[in-house]
Amino acid sequence: MNRALAAGPIVWLGIILTTCLLLVLFQSMLWLVMPVLMAIVLYYIMSPWVNLAMSKGISRSRAVFIVTMLLCVLILAVGSIVEPKIVAASHDWRDKIKQYSEVGMNLVDKAEQTLKHYFSFAHSSESPSPARPASGSVGFVANEPPPVSSSDNLENDVSNLPAKYSGDIARELAHWIPSLLLVPYITYFFLLDGPRFKRFLVQAIPNAFFEKALYLFYRVEDQIRRYFQGLLALTALDAISLGVGLWFFGINAPFLLATIAAVLAWLPYLGSIAGGLLVVLVAAHDAPSNPWLPYEVIALFILVRLLDDFVFMPMTVGRSLRMHPLVAVMMILLGGAVAGISGLLLVMPVLGVVMVTGQILGELVTDERVMARYWHARELRHRRARADLYAD
Amino acid sequence: MFFGLPFQRNPRLQMLKNVVLFKDLSMHELGMVDSLLHERRYLADEVIFDEGEEGQGLFVVLSGRVKIARPGDARGMLIEFDPGSFFGEVALLDQSVRTAQARAIEDTHIVALFRAEFYSLLQTHSAIASRISFQLARVLAARLRQAVINSNEHHMAP
Repeated sequence: MNRALAAGPIVWLGIILTTCLLLVLFQSMLWLVMPVLMAIVLYYIMSPWVNLAMSKGISRSRAVFIVTMLLCVLILAVGSIVEPKIVAASHDWRDKIKQYSEVGMNLVDKAEQTLKHYFSFAHSSESPSPARPASGSVGFVANEPPPVSSSDNLENDVSNLPAKYSGDIARELAHWIPSLLLVPYITYFFLLDGPRFKRFLVQAIPNAFFEKALYLFYRVEDQIRRYFQGLLALTALDAISLGVGLWFFGINAPFLLATIAAVLAWLPYLGSIAGGLLVVLVAAHDAPSNPWLPYEVIALFILVRLLDDFVFMPMTVGRSLRMHPLVAVMMILLGGAVAGISGLLLVMPVLGVVMVTGQILGELVTDERVMARYWHARELRHRRARADLYAD
Repeated sequence: MFFGLPFQRNPRLQMLKNVVLFKDLSMHELGMVDSLLHERRYLADEVIFDEGEEGQGLFVVLSGRVKIARPGDARGMLIEFDPGSFFGEVALLDQSVRTAQARAIEDTHIVALFRAEFYSLLQTHSAIASRISFQLARVLAARLRQAVINSNEHHMAP
């Protein structure tokens, strides 16, 4: 089934336009797309277990029920372990954010000072600070408040973030919770009725396209499965490499941090920056006595990203989508441009499915023999329907 | 769509039970195989597949008749399949192209077993898949033997 499908420029233009249209559509109904996407991930995690249960002679419905129940028990067990820690941490989360923002600001200040110390251009490029008194001035005017530096402003802004946005965050959470509750429900029915739904769809395909349509379904399903399995493998590889490095540097909870950073990396570009920032802030917070540790962690993070881009990604997701790297990068940029963050997140799986569908549909409609068979079958049906319609 | 009849009262399962490929399966196992089959209905004279097309699976005739022929071949029809028989089985085993055309002689009701789904059956229900494979091998061996006999007779004819 690894036949390479060649598509012409018109088909490719159609593929790109359809991908962009779908991304814009999905952006407007993200509340439904995200649970479906998460359900697909869960489906591909759980379907090997369902198949294993079925191979032991259990019926599909029972196998799906057992595996879903086991997953729920696992989630509840993990939840009962993690929940007290989250509750404990949530009491002082405002203080934590303030602490981490202070650490971040100190890190920025130190980096600035280091740059000034080692590189002369850092002095010359520095803009004149309004806080700095002009030459000849004797100091600040007594009644004026002390001038505030730009980094102090930023620090205040970051410290005020929790108070400013706590209502918005609560509203967003309330908005997303019903959608997230759909995830296990959708997953259950994907597992239970997926094959029947596929047969139901195939029934609507005209006879002339039947075998090609079966092949199309197989390829689309294979593409989605490969993409998500590749993504999960990539996440695991990233988390393990980063976790081992953080553990070596003595950072607290290295594998949890590495897993969060690896999951954040699902969002191209922005996710990597957020993950890197998180890891560096934790490193700076955990080891204030070691000023070089954040830089070592940055180097580790860059090394893991390079490994991800040049070794892990081609081994997992890149291989699964069989896509030229330039096309992949251009499409990620295009996805971000047309649908923002959701576009960045969804562009690769959507492109993968549209690509296979477009290539096979392009092949079908340009195959004159298949089209002739379709019109022949229609003519036979029309002739049958018209038989005995007119009196002699 | 999502509700089926009990095994014993399901006419499609009764028809499948008469197919040589599935004759070793219990009704319960047959129900499992049935969940993988795709049902198609063809009018008389409608082409089912063409010579040179990439095959994706085998077809089982439930009712009607199908002829296998090579368009333009002086011998005309190569073989005819009646209810209970199957054709296109080589596509179940590999990704080869069809070597002849299949066309419905009369209104025909068939079910198709797709290669990828047969492979998944091999993984999930290897006992069922191996019984189907064994019957398939027996039928292929019989057809090969018949082809050799026909070929010998053809060469020995004056």
